[in-house]
Amino acid sequence: MIRLQNVTKTYTRAGTLEVIALDDVSLDIVKGEFVFVVGPSGSGKSTFMKLLTREQIADNGEVWVAGKNLATLRAWKVPLLRREIGYVFQDFKLLGNKTVYENVAFALEVIGTGKREIDRRVPEMLELVGLSDKAHAQPHELSGGQQQRVSIARAFVNKPRILLCDEPTGNLDPATSVGIMKLLDRINRTGTTVVMATHDQQIVDSMRRRVIELAGGVIVRDQSRGVYGYGA
Amino acid sequence: MTGRWRYLLYEAFIGLRRNLMMTVAVVLSVTVSLTLLGASLLLSTQVDLATDDWIGRVEVSIFLCDDRTCPAITSEQQETLRQDLEANDVVAEVFYESKRDAYIRFVELFSDQPTLVESITEDTLPASFRVRLENPALFNVIRDEFEAYPGVEEIVDQREVLNQFLRFTNVVRNGALAVAAIQLVAAGVLIANTIRVAAFARREQTAVMRLVGAGNWYIRLPFVLEGVIAGVLGAFVSWGLLYATVPRIAGNLARDIELLPFIGASHVFAVGGWLLLAGTGIAAVSSLLALRKFLDV
Repeated sequence: MIRLQNVTKTYTRAGTLEVIALDDVSLDIVKGEFVFVVGPSGSGKSTFMKLLTREQIADNGEVWVAGKNLATLRAWKVPLLRREIGYVFQDFKLLGNKTVYENVAFALEVIGTGKREIDRRVPEMLELVGLSDKAHAQPHELSGGQQQRVSIARAFVNKPRILLCDEPTGNLDPATSVGIMKLLDRINRTGTTVVMATHDQQIVDSMRRRVIELAGGVIVRDQSRGVYGYGA
Repeated sequence: MTGRWRYLLYEAFIGLRRNLMMTVAVVLSVTVSLTLLGASLLLSTQVDLATDDWIGRVEVSIFLCDDRTCPAITSEQQETLRQDLEANDVVAEVFYESKRDAYIRFVELFSDQPTLVESITEDTLPASFRVRLENPALFNVIRDEFEAYPGVEEIVDQREVLNQFLRFTNVVRNGALAVAAIQLVAAGVLIANTIRVAAFARREQTAVMRLVGAGNWYIRLPFVLEGVIAGVLGAFVSWGLLYATVPRIAGNLARDIELLPFIGASHVFAVGGWLLLAGTGIAAVSSLLALRKFLDV
């Protein structure tokens, strides 16, 4: 589902200074896996996620996502790639001028889904994330956890094959985070591949899923049923 | 598809309304530039109309002596002159204008200036042969050949008079075109800036759209449409302005200057297409340029 082969990505900052974000990274993530990507800030997590959505393009090596080689993917096909990927942000990125329902429906509208299909899928999705009763609330009326549920509903409403979550619990308290993780786990059980970048040690330890640890742009650990740090 | 278009138009109008001051500035700026453009196009049309008519009528006037500066032409001399003119290869047509004809035309021409009319009598103006040439550029041939004929007072190239008029109108038209071009560029820059502001205001929405896989054009079109709607509005306003003023001005002029044909409402109407094209074009191009970097995948 996701394959990186000898991928290198560097940024040029302040003119000449080169920063190596990913250095010769290779990995495979198969369909239906649940993978944590951990590591300190600046370890290359964000770059990894951005390569998968083709917001960034690797300098060297190959990135394959959902059967597509992103290096040779035509620009006009990028939107099609992104329809196979749901993206959940740390800060939710809900549109404040739309209701919960409209926020979720928006993701379908802008890819040209018919109205009848939207009317069928959005309530279904709100039901899945447990927010059927908040359909007509504004995002600012919701708690952080509820907003993240809306954001997940929006990411998953067009049934993508991959769900990328960038620190989805970063702004939430531990109790709320557990609820979000249960939701992601349920989505994963539908066969959706979930990749989650996180700092949250407690969550990683409790889930016991595959852990890929990055440090300084290289994979320092790739462990199935792993925990956040060494030693556990 | 209809849902999509409704979305696109809705978003475009939201953008225009949210930034009403900018929208007004853009529409006015487009209006000014297109009004100038339209005016210079209409001036060209006017010149074409007028010159066609003038050139078609007369190119050379051969004024005949009447005892004031030279001995009056005799009827034999006049008949010889006419026959020689008609026999000449470069001459297409010859009309005779008698002193009385000239007087009548003068009275008509200056009917609103009675003092001028009173200052002359039927005898004041010279009789003339009015000659149309096969090729207007061959004036010199006529002058060289007929200048020395007895009874010929003066040979005037009416095209020279016309050329002075044309030079003047060309300067006016080119000036208007230059100002229109500068103003059009200014309008384009203003549109580009407005679109950039609009795109910035909705950057969160476009970021979400991009990540859920909305097509590039789906993201861009509302912004482009926003610019184009402003451009089209400006085009219509300038069209309306020209439509309301130009036929009236031309009508007033036509009353004063009876010899010339003038443009009318139909000519202003015809210019509308060009205004619409220019307004839409400048708006679309500057919107796309503004978005090129901003909304790339």
